[in-house]
Amino acid sequence: MVQLIQLNNMYKFDLHKLLHEELGNNFKDLVTRQSGQAIRERIERDIEREPDGSVISLDFSKIGVIDYSCADEIVAKLVSRLLSGEYGCKYILLEGLNENQRENIEVAVERKNLAVMAEMKDGSRSVLGSLNSYLKDTLEFIVKKKKATSKELSEAKNIEANTSGTRLLNLHKKRLVKRAEEVRSEGKIWVYEIL
Amino acid sequence: MIQITEDSFEKILHSFIHSEKIDLTNVSFIDPYGMVGLLEIGELCMLEDVRKTIILPRSDEVYRYLDRMDFFTFAKRYFYLEHTSTGAGAKYQRSSNSDVLLEITAIEKANDIHYIVGKVTDRAEAILATHLHYDDRAINGFIVSLSEICQNVIEHSENRGFVGIQKYRYQNLGKNVVKIAVMDVGIGFRKSLSHRFRLRSDIDAIDKALLHGASRYDDEGRGHGLAGVRKFVIQWQGMLSIRSGTARLSLIPQWARGRDQERNLTFFPGSQINILLPEM
Repeated sequence: MVQLIQLNNMYKFDLHKLLHEELGNNFKDLVTRQSGQAIRERIERDIEREPDGSVISLDFSKIGVIDYSCADEIVAKLVSRLLSGEYGCKYILLEGLNENQRENIEVAVERKNLAVMAEMKDGSRSVLGSLNSYLKDTLEFIVKKKKATSKELSEAKNIEANTSGTRLLNLHKKRLVKRAEEVRSEGKIWVYEIL
Repeated sequence: MIQITEDSFEKILHSFIHSEKIDLTNVSFIDPYGMVGLLEIGELCMLEDVRKTIILPRSDEVYRYLDRMDFFTFAKRYFYLEHTSTGAGAKYQRSSNSDVLLEITAIEKANDIHYIVGKVTDRAEAILATHLHYDDRAINGFIVSLSEICQNVIEHSENRGFVGIQKYRYQNLGKNVVKIAVMDVGIGFRKSLSHRFRLRSDIDAIDKALLHGASRYDDEGRGHGLAGVRKFVIQWQGMLSIRSGTARLSLIPQWARGRDQERNLTFFPGSQINILLPEM
């Protein structure tokens, strides 16, 4: 599995290598539903073996164009199945995106009312797809701080503790942030962090 | 003199389908729509075990253009080719300074779409950026639209298809225009959608697919390819027409003429798509 690189619980798929391996051609574009299906099925086979808590990173940096059908077949279907629990408790992060890829993937995930975390080529992170404004705001807070607790969010945004807890939990349910239990002086608490 | 384009296609279709010989002797102009249209007539005849004869154009210029567009590569599979002048038939030197964005290319499998996208991406800078003044985002939209429209042939037609793309200079507009033609003689929009929707006519079927995102597949995320193409064409003030069966539905911008709905045309199976994109 040359395309799969593990970095601190992050499993990176080089989509360009995967494209060559699965389709046996020398093209660099992710186009057609058929090609997307072949690539998704390969990813699904590989991530099944990874432990819960893993971040599955899809690296687009050597990819040219991705069309809507292929974006639906790879990204939207993976996210949809991730949220339905088919892959266990894992996370998906898109990496190395350019503006055009971001736009086309966003169209595909928005149609299914989904959201996915993405890191652009310049390293900036944002969410693609459908997410209501207060969850977007909460996510931006975590991206900025790297990790946060419900109490910290509550204080920073001046909202009730149960509201901040619900927002963080909802982000976790959408697999947009990771959640880990930490023991601090005040006892065990949930800490939410970026993928 | 005869021109073979979308405008003249209705007139010639009836006679070409019903005659043993397709006479192109006096053809003075042919565009990608005309070329892939001829090939699809050939495909249709082949499905009926008929091989017609094409009498090739007398004009050296038209002959050379057909050659440059790889028309003969496919035409000889379907037709007997009959030359009309002594010059024709000799192999011409292909011009490297061409406005061809994509030669006639068959669409049969996913790899063909990868090839088409790769080739158009390579030539996008020379034609789409230089002549249409498209920026990177518009080029991406063009390529994605092309990919979606070509894969509709594989996904929905149950047959093979052809695509060709060429840049022209429209003197009356004072603008460059890129023409994309994609055709198949497969099952067409009405039959493709009929098991999911109650459709009254071919125009109803095209309308459902183009304007309402209808798809033969019921899983979520389907039926948006054509909607994306429509959005792109409108955004860049292009013209889009889809012909299927006996009808044609067109999105016509201000700079073009035509009817947005045509019914009772000569029956031709499958789908025939024409896109015109002007320089910005």
